Amino acid sequence: MQPTSSMKEEFLKKWQMGLQIYRPLIDNTSVSERRKAIKLSADVAMASLRKGTTCWSRALIQKTATEDNFLVRQMLSGIKAETLINKKLPKVMCHRKIVRRSKMILRRRQSRSAIEEVAAKARKLIKKKTQGLRNVVPGGEFMSNDVLLIQETLDYIVSLQTQVNVMRSIVDAAEAGSER
Amino acid sequence: MSSRRSSRSRQSGSSRISDDQISDLVTKLQHLIPELRRRRSDKVSASKVLQETCNYIRNLHREVDDLSDRLSELLASTDDDSAEAAIIRSLLNY
Repeated sequence: MQPTSSMKEEFLKKWQMGLQIYRPLIDNTSVSERRKAIKLSADVAMASLRKGTTCWSRALIQKTATEDNFLVRQMLSGIKAETLINKKLPKVMCHRKIVRRSKMILRRRQSRSAIEEVAAKARKLIKKKTQGLRNVVPGGEFMSNDVLLIQETLDYIVSLQTQVNVMRSIVDAAEAGSER
Repeated sequence: MSSRRSSRSRQSGSSRISDDQISDLVTKLQHLIPELRRRRSDKVSASKVLQETCNYIRNLHREVDDLSDRLSELLASTDDDSAEAAIIRSLLNY
């Protein structure tokens, strides 16, 4: 899976819209405020590509809304902005304790062969690495299911590639223009 | 479905299924990450793929931050009549 040109186009349009919203501010603020505006609109643009269908995009929208509620509402108007911003993220954290406890109980009851031991060790190492993923994928802390986590990661990476691709093209084009 | 739910085989049955799913997904990750895509052989361990995935995502985050920095510098000049200001304006629909 690769960023498609329609994804890039859509991202650009949404990002431009976000920057338009910021326009009155952009001309009169500090570099760091401008930078924040650029980054926030890029993030909302990226998240809105998924129209609330993935966990990471919902988490990113909610996170951005805490930094600039107005921008997010404006950018998402028409795509159920209210529900996306206010929707409670799943309380999977609670379930994790229950799952952990029941796994411990089951483990005590089972006796394992050597092969099962190796498989279990491999699984443990993978668990450690997936924890790292949870730290970098938005909303990762709510994805206790590893399968879901990796599915979300795949989608998140393609979206990030889209974002970087488009931003890079714009910056390169503009900087090339100034080097004449 | 019902055999999966029988209490004794439940634990091993469900983890076998998700192991397959996970290794399938990890393969997909491997193809997505430039570092690993070059290594056409399938001998990359799952934990290595996951580690490289974390690194890759962090790099992408850094790149977005860097691009945002550069763009905010460029936007400083949207009010003057320079060529770059004109380019930025048209690229961003200003």
